[in-house]
Amino acid sequence: MAVIRDMIPAFDLFQPTSIEDAIDLLDQYGDDSWVFAGGMDSFDWMKDRIKRPTAVVDLGNIPELKGITSSDDGLEIGAMTTLTEVASNSDVTSRFGLLSQAAGLVATPQIRNQGTLGGNLSQDTRCWYYRAGWPCYRAGGNICYASAPLAMNREHCIFGADRCVAVNPSDTATALIALDAKMVVHSSKGEREVDAEDYFIGPGIDITRMTVLETGDILTTIRIPGTWAGAQFYFEKVEDRKSWDFALVSVASALVVNNGRIERARIAVNGVAPYPMRLDAVEAAVTGKPQNEETAEAAGDIAIRGASPLRHNDYKLPLMKNLVRRALREQAP
Amino acid sequence: MATIGQDIAPPDLVAKVTGRAKFAEDFRAEGMVFAKLLLSPMPHARVRRVDASEALAMPGVLGILRAEEVPQVDAPREACLTDEPLYEGEPVLAIAAVDETTAADAIDRIKVDFEPLPFVLDPLESLRPNGPDARIGGNYFFRPRGSDIAEFRSHKWTDADFAAAGEGQMPMGEPRTEWSVGDLDAGFDQADLVLDETIVHQTLSHHPMEPRSCMAYWQNGKLYIHPSTQSTARTAVGIARSMDLDPDDVVLIGPYCGGGFGSKISGSPTMLIPAVMSRKIGRPVMMRINRYEETYIGRSRPGFQARVKIGFRNDGRVTALDLYIVEDGGAYGSGDFNTAGTVASLSYQPLAMRLRGVSLYTNTPPRSAQRGPGGAQIVGMLEPIIDKAARQLGIDRVAIRELNAPDNNGWLGPQQGRLTSAYVREALAMGKEIFGWEEKSRLSGQRNGTKAIGVGVGLSPFVGGSTGYDGLVVIRPDGKLYVHQGIGNLGTHSMADTARAAADVLGLPWDRVEVVWGDTSKHLPWSSNQSGSQTIHAHTRANHAAGIDARRKLQQIAALDWGGSPGDYVVGGGRVYHRSNRNQGMTFGRAARRAIQLRGKFSGYEMDDDLNAMTVASVQALAGQGLIGAAKDNYGREGSTWTFVVGFALVELDVETGQVDIKEYTAVADCGTVIHPRSLAAQIHGGGVQGFGIARSQRWVYDPQWGVAFAKRFYTARPPGILDVPLEMKWGAVGIPDPQTPVGAKGIGEPPVGAGSAAITSAIADALGGQCLCRTPLTLDVILAALEGREQPYGPLETHV
Amino acid sequence: MEFLRRAANPWNQDVWIGISWDLMWAAVIGGLAFLVLHAVIAWRTPKAESTAVAETGDPAIPDRILRHSAASRAFHWLMSVTMFVLLITAFFPLVGIRFAWVTIHWIAGIGLILTIVYHVVYATMKQDLWSMWIGAKELKEGTQEVVGFLKRSPPATSSKPGKYPIDHKLYHNTTAVITLAAIATGVLMMVRVDTPFWARNPYLLSDQMWGIVYVVHGLSGVALIATIMAHIYFAVRPEKWWITLSMINGFIGKKEYLAHHDPKRWVVTPGPGARGGGAAPPKVTGGAAQSPKAVPQDKQSDRLT
Ligand SMILES: Cc1cc2nc3c(=O)[nH]c(=O)nc-3n(C[C@H](O)[C@H](O)[C@H](O)COP(=O)(O)OP(=O)(O)OC[C@H]3O[C@@H](n4cnc5c(N)ncnc54)[C@H](O)[C@@H]3O)c2cc1C
Ligand code: HEM
Repeated sequence: MAVIRDMIPAFDLFQPTSIEDAIDLLDQYGDDSWVFAGGMDSFDWMKDRIKRPTAVVDLGNIPELKGITSSDDGLEIGAMTTLTEVASNSDVTSRFGLLSQAAGLVATPQIRNQGTLGGNLSQDTRCWYYRAGWPCYRAGGNICYASAPLAMNREHCIFGADRCVAVNPSDTATALIALDAKMVVHSSKGEREVDAEDYFIGPGIDITRMTVLETGDILTTIRIPGTWAGAQFYFEKVEDRKSWDFALVSVASALVVNNGRIERARIAVNGVAPYPMRLDAVEAAVTGKPQNEETAEAAGDIAIRGASPLRHNDYKLPLMKNLVRRALREQAP
Repeated sequence: MATIGQDIAPPDLVAKVTGRAKFAEDFRAEGMVFAKLLLSPMPHARVRRVDASEALAMPGVLGILRAEEVPQVDAPREACLTDEPLYEGEPVLAIAAVDETTAADAIDRIKVDFEPLPFVLDPLESLRPNGPDARIGGNYFFRPRGSDIAEFRSHKWTDADFAAAGEGQMPMGEPRTEWSVGDLDAGFDQADLVLDETIVHQTLSHHPMEPRSCMAYWQNGKLYIHPSTQSTARTAVGIARSMDLDPDDVVLIGPYCGGGFGSKISGSPTMLIPAVMSRKIGRPVMMRINRYEETYIGRSRPGFQARVKIGFRNDGRVTALDLYIVEDGGAYGSGDFNTAGTVASLSYQPLAMRLRGVSLYTNTPPRSAQRGPGGAQIVGMLEPIIDKAARQLGIDRVAIRELNAPDNNGWLGPQQGRLTSAYVREALAMGKEIFGWEEKSRLSGQRNGTKAIGVGVGLSPFVGGSTGYDGLVVIRPDGKLYVHQGIGNLGTHSMADTARAAADVLGLPWDRVEVVWGDTSKHLPWSSNQSGSQTIHAHTRANHAAGIDARRKLQQIAALDWGGSPGDYVVGGGRVYHRSNRNQGMTFGRAARRAIQLRGKFSGYEMDDDLNAMTVASVQALAGQGLIGAAKDNYGREGSTWTFVVGFALVELDVETGQVDIKEYTAVADCGTVIHPRSLAAQIHGGGVQGFGIARSQRWVYDPQWGVAFAKRFYTARPPGILDVPLEMKWGAVGIPDPQTPVGAKGIGEPPVGAGSAAITSAIADALGGQCLCRTPLTLDVILAALEGREQPYGPLETHV
Repeated sequence: MEFLRRAANPWNQDVWIGISWDLMWAAVIGGLAFLVLHAVIAWRTPKAESTAVAETGDPAIPDRILRHSAASRAFHWLMSVTMFVLLITAFFPLVGIRFAWVTIHWIAGIGLILTIVYHVVYATMKQDLWSMWIGAKELKEGTQEVVGFLKRSPPATSSKPGKYPIDHKLYHNTTAVITLAAIATGVLMMVRVDTPFWARNPYLLSDQMWGIVYVVHGLSGVALIATIMAHIYFAVRPEKWWITLSMINGFIGKKEYLAHHDPKRWVVTPGPGARGGGAAPPKVTGGAAQSPKAVPQDKQSDRLT
């Protein structure tokens, strides 16, 4: 059968108004269903007729999934809250500026108006081999085209490859890992809470998914504890252009510094592995160290230990190293 | 007050900004249905069998169009559908259905058995002794002048040719084209410094905002067609020729075009599909092209691999320039390397020069002219090399350009052709002033934290005008001047701005001028293509001529009615009157009525016999509707018309990430008389931004194993976004009229691209301390690898990355 | 049920990418069905009269006969460990028990290869390579046995095998072929994944060839599920315990030897110290008497003509 792209085939659209109804629909349609948030990733798949759900379940009419509320000492953000709101909400900007920075750097204002935090975290990779509809591992096939000897893999990973060498594209993911957020997932089996870091899975575990979400699961809430509120934050995203682009490498860090000494640190990078990568070794190495150039230098070196570049992405090593250094340097207030 | 030099909004503006403007896909006709294309999944294949039975049995599916049903063309030209696709994405067949969804679903159900054939993406690969050829039979088309031979042949280099090139250098075997001027060896002998560089320039899709959608239907044997095209008159004629129709039987209506950049000059092959499909199924057919398809069929600028050796005297004078270009001609062949060589000769006026080149077919989408074809590529590549020499010789970088630049006595190309005018030094001086070169160049290399400052300058010449077209104006009884324009409206405003030549000749304020355009049923004159920066030159001349013709007729009518000789009468403010008595005269409205009564040449019943047949038909159709001015541009010209743009840029390069931030950009044009300042600024800046994309981010990527394209979405192809454009961009124009054209204006569409690209490649090299990476795009990975002293991400000759 | 997983390659050509995982369930179900059927038939079949042969045996035959040397046992158990690891890593993720399996899988694969290489070398040098050969007569006997089993008639006692009964040989050889297929394809497949040995190159073979490789690997994989299920089943059947035990301690008793083997086909001669249950194994040879060729004693087969 011939291939045709960029033309959405028909599907049934459901717009439930409660989480329960949404879950019922997902259970009813199983693998033929599709959770639809802002559509900025979803539409791409549908337009290219690669993913062909028959039942699209739009979460846009479920009030509980929207908005930002304070809880205990932290925040709860509904998965359907737009990136624009996450970037501009005063609770977020004042206490968890790391997240608002990250959200504010996603794509463009139009995409941020439409794209949601939940969708941004749950989005699929942008590996162009995979997104061309080729039968690669991630698509259920038995090959990785992107790691072939002559493949175009400038955007691909330097860590965590397991047959698949794609990277996670989300900008908000690293920020939430650095903030030690929890993801709340609902399904017909009930509710579970997953650490931000564990929300993302590598290809070794399941090569066809980016997150723990399975059919019938809905990410409902992102909980940010107060632990890192007001810490010293750093977010930087390096991209080819200043808008529209996914990160080649991004870094998010939260540091608690006292008298020039790093007391606590959480740091994560994206664009280097099939999942946003928390840098435990760097965290361990800098904790208790003075925040200075020497610490930053060392951290950069530790960060890229064990990286294995592909043919065209060796540059990600110095890039990641330098970004990690920057994240640990003292920031101008 | 003269309209020339004023900022006057063009007449299509309101419709555009309010969304009322109708572009190709906005047209509707009774009973209209939709077509969709089936594209080749392989870079080179033969269709063995098509089974469309399931598709055709679907309710709502109306028909299929196969390659054998569309107008046939001779090799190597491109038909609108093919059974031997030559690149991935080439249209193979079309399906029509009552709606687009059904048409797409029908494509889904067609079984095509493709036989894969050998393919090649990189011309250098095709040049290898046993390298693959893009076509069955060869990698270039051999059709010597004055012979019957017309066939594909294989051009190969020897192993020795490849072995002779040093590490990372481009090998140089037998060229297909070669020309030289002066004594090259003597030139290099005189040189105190010789640079030898290998260059890679990417291929670039055109990416116009509006894809080449088209709607067509037939009525009483006439084809009504709404394509997305740069030109109007020329496209209609082209369609008539392709469809084997009388030009009168083609009505082309397309008043708006969302950009073309050279990819829709006289339409595109695929616009015939709805026309043929409509004839076949008897329904109006709309074929909307989506972004995905547009990247395949939407043309591209040929990229190249090149080697350049330049000799400099101690004072910076270029003594010899030896350029060898291997160009990627795409699936249907085309090369702009000759223009690249010509532009290089013009920019640096070398004492001796040689151009060698070979453009080969590859199994990648068709190439065509793209805004500054050849020129934009070569200046972006050569300017940083000139900088490198300046730096080594200790000369100011603007000074070295001033030294080598042409003036009115400059020459270009193998024939050492002459110029109508060149005010490059004036442009450089003005640019230095506006940009503040003296202070800015002192910042070069300075560090601000991790950011290194780079300052760049680029000189970009491009051809700026053609001659010999017709102008056609009508003064109607309503007293207004109707300027009929056969050129198109691709957003450059020239369809309106060139009309000013007639308005000013007739002394008419702009509010009494109506521009008639975009619809061949409205009787348009024979015109230039809306391309090649020709129109402002060609059609200020043609409209000037038509205005003069109308003015002469006004004077004659006045003399007939009021006595005296025509020369006693002046024209202005909507009246023709006696020079010594303002009351002795008449309004344009009255003159128009008189012209209608007088018939003959006054109202188009007679006309000059040098007019083109198309103009003749239009004048005949308009005859009796008013006073008609119709004339051919017979102003003559010696030499060719060239425009020059110089760009200046200041960038900040982050040495830890390789990111480049363009902070300031200034460009100054020598484009003769300024007709419309705001529009000129838009061209200078818009072209500059396009150049930024070439230099910094825009990609064209192929998987070498499958020959399949990846950068076919905006977000993967990466043209610049608005945040990549500096907040403040300045511009200027020298404003010295070209002496060989009545209005003095030279074209401006194209040279700004090269200026933008070259200013950035030059500034990046400057920020890197003078290191020329000699490839585009200069993405941050390439830059960072250089900064960190790591291996470059791509081989020195690697292309389509 | 689908048999293959297929996909459109980048040129939209239909290619095989592997077997359908339905076949995994088919193998499991098929294996289970066999076991149940066998168990039921075996249960409903009258027991054969216990033949009192033990006493009639040659007094030279030792009381404990070494069936599997320490090296063979080590091989067996090592191989089974790698095999289990391979099966677990291959199939657990498919049934939803997810972990990063590929690296463990190919390392176990290499383990398997090493044990097999060892086994083959050992078998050629030290053991009787022909002891696994299946002759025509044996095949006939085997068929009769199966038919008999299905008819639920008591096991024929007319002829007894040599060292390895026909079902063992059949099992061994089938498994060997399947395993070798898995190995051959598995080694090729390592080119597709990250290993320290070579750069990944998915284009080493054509898409079509790779399709075949994946299908063969998959088929051998699921076939192994069934064969190993059967293997374990027989190992735990009470009447086969003596064999299972011999894979643990190496020996069978004289009684089992005489009951289940044809001493002409599996000639056992006491080795030095055998009677005393010493460490050195008794000499075990093939049916030298019937051997058509003059093969060296310790390399002769129990091939029957
Ligand atoms: C041109 C372009 C550039 C972009 N650049 C960037 C960038 O620089 N950085 C970046 O981070 N992102 C970028 N994006 C992605 C974009 O920002 C969106 O955030 C993201 O694609 C998806 O968000 P969405 O709300 O539109 O979700 P959708 O597209 O509707 O959903 C995305 C995926 O998540 C699933 N999903 C969504 N919500 C839930 C939920 N609550 N529970 C379970 N599953 C869910 C969907 O099923 C789907 O698979 C870009 C997108 C485009 C088109
Ligand atoms: C003998 C027992 C074995 C079994 C049951 C087995 C089973 C499997 C199965 C079911 C798969 C998944 C195939 C697919 O996705 O289509 C697989 C993959 C694989 N096997 Fe094995 N295998 C065995 C032996 C081996 C050996 C000996 C090797 C190598 C030395 C090997 C190397 C691999 C590799 C590298 C893959 C991954 C290929 C890929 O995902 O592209 N296997 N195996």
